[in-house]
Amino acid sequence: MTRTIALAIVCGVVFTLFGGAACAQNDSEAAPPVDNFEDADAALPVVPADDSTAAEESGWMDAVDDFFGSYLVGPLATVLFYDFETDQLLGASIPFVVLWLLLGALFFTIRMGFINIRAFWHAVKITKGDYDDPAGSGEVSHFQALASALSATVGLGNIAGVAIAISLGGPGATFWMIVVGLLGMSSKFSECTLGMLYRRIDADGRVSGGPMHYLRDGLAELGLGPVGAVLAGVFTLLCMGGSFGGGCAFQVNQSLGAINTQLTFLDPQRGGYPWIYGLVLVVLVGMVILGGIRRIAATAEKIVPLMCGIYVLTALYIIFSDASKILPAFQAIIEGAFTPQAGVSGGLIGVMVVGIQRAAFSNEAGIGSASIAHSAAKTEEPVSEGIVALLEPFIDTVVVCTMTALVIVITGAYDNPDWEHLRAANKGAELTSAAFGSVISWFPWMLALMVFLFAYSTMISWSYYGERCWSHLFGQRASIVYKILFLGFVFLGSIVQAKNVLDFSDLMILSMALPNILGVALLSGKVKRKLDDYWSRYKSGALKSRRD
Amino acid sequence: MNWLPRNRVVVPVDFSDESLAAVDTALAFVDDPQQVHVIHVLPELEPTEPGVIWNTIDDASRKKNVEEALRERLADERFQGLHFVVTIGDPGHEIADLAADQQADLIVMPSHGRRGLRRVLLGSVAERVLRLAHCPVLVLRK
Repeated sequence: MTRTIALAIVCGVVFTLFGGAACAQNDSEAAPPVDNFEDADAALPVVPADDSTAAEESGWMDAVDDFFGSYLVGPLATVLFYDFETDQLLGASIPFVVLWLLLGALFFTIRMGFINIRAFWHAVKITKGDYDDPAGSGEVSHFQALASALSATVGLGNIAGVAIAISLGGPGATFWMIVVGLLGMSSKFSECTLGMLYRRIDADGRVSGGPMHYLRDGLAELGLGPVGAVLAGVFTLLCMGGSFGGGCAFQVNQSLGAINTQLTFLDPQRGGYPWIYGLVLVVLVGMVILGGIRRIAATAEKIVPLMCGIYVLTALYIIFSDASKILPAFQAIIEGAFTPQAGVSGGLIGVMVVGIQRAAFSNEAGIGSASIAHSAAKTEEPVSEGIVALLEPFIDTVVVCTMTALVIVITGAYDNPDWEHLRAANKGAELTSAAFGSVISWFPWMLALMVFLFAYSTMISWSYYGERCWSHLFGQRASIVYKILFLGFVFLGSIVQAKNVLDFSDLMILSMALPNILGVALLSGKVKRKLDDYWSRYKSGALKSRRD
Repeated sequence: MNWLPRNRVVVPVDFSDESLAAVDTALAFVDDPQQVHVIHVLPELEPTEPGVIWNTIDDASRKKNVEEALRERLADERFQGLHFVVTIGDPGHEIADLAADQQADLIVMPSHGRRGLRRVLLGSVAERVLRLAHCPVLVLRK
């Protein structure tokens, strides 16, 4: 009984802290009309909301939102988006976290000897199942682990984020997105190999792995125990926060923005009731995480590769429906990448920053979360799952994001004056929807459905990531508390407009890169040794392929 | 230690050294290892984990894995004849239920001595067993 009460109190306190803040300014006219982080980060650097505007609004919720703005978003944004005065020196602001992710990816690419290129075909073969080891320890096959990780990654970043990148940076931003997608493959390889190396297999055969394990145990091996413990602890907290925000409330908020263009009764701006959407999702997510209905989660995750496929095929259809525009589109992308564009702030570097940032947000390479899912792979070769993981940024960014970009460039959505209002308001998902709709009139319906499924599967996957972190700290039997909090954030995501809270939650996902990349870089020597050993065995034919 | 001989003893094992040592303590109370029931309680599967999504892991395989692991860890001659039980659910309830089902007259278990938030959130298994058990419980402290 006491325990139940204690649980309720802990629940209540945490929920009031996060959730109450998220409610804040919901009805506030004074809040800036920024509905999400996609918009917010587009106009770099993120600045905490103006405190003076909220003062006239009554209620403790505003006070909490202000607290978030002044003490959490403010300092976090100051660190993550600190630009080393580059706007003075280069004429364009290069935020710290963008540089961190980029330098990390570049470092891992060089350190691992361009693993992203040389292991690409091998990765495809492992994923196909050529090297599957049914007797190996772990839970799922290489392909299944990749699909699970992809369901958390592919989402609104691929649909809304790309449109925003091109609205802001012009077609040239696509080029830099692809470059970062390619480099990010090496970050993913490194972190997922580490996830495998330090995963824990319980007596019942279940696996738990991820940055919270490799940061702590890996760095302890290097004699950096205290550093590792701190990095792992910080990562665990940020990952839980990120799962509530970017992995949950943000997905609800963003997908609602895309869906209410088709289902207007959900659109608050047209007198609709967004909370209906929130309630429906609470039920759908709750049935899985509390009700334990496995089939829904399984279907949602398995449908992601199919949805990706349909999306890419539709994009290809649009691209090839007017073949004369393909060459000029590529020309615009290449030229835009290397020549300063009119109307793009920050010139060439501005274009680069926009592209790099959107790619990093989309594929989450360097963030560390994906290694939680990849650690479940059934194999005795840790490196082989790392190699599979490098396909993730490739599929997410180099393929799916590029398709969105090409459709936007080819349909002229990035400079068509008719859609200026969408670009001006940074309504990424709506711009992409309009671009597809200009060629296939019924496709926006399909897109709304896809956005919904992507958002739903992302939430299911992130609830797993967050739950793993929560269990790591508090034990699995306490995960009910986490799940109730998660559902609370699902609902809040449908009704919040509070900029500070949404910014805060997304900043948490970005901040995960700070402990993670630092730790992975320190452990890169170990990854490299394992890779060299694996690669020499692969080259000498000592690795058993089922096709041999 | 053998101040009161027992007919049937239940020992929960979570693979920690303390819990494995508790098996030896339990053996001291009985004449034959067959009188000792070793129980391991598994948590429920999460519907969101990859192994469940892809239907590659289930409760039957988990129980089998744990039983194998128990046999491996308690392979010594002196452990021959022990009964192994693997259940799924809340450890406190499962342990007390097994003791009741088996009409055990003693439960032997260590206490981990959790503190702080983990204690608030997880509680103490030993404490719950103490409350729920129908028989005496011997809690071993480090």
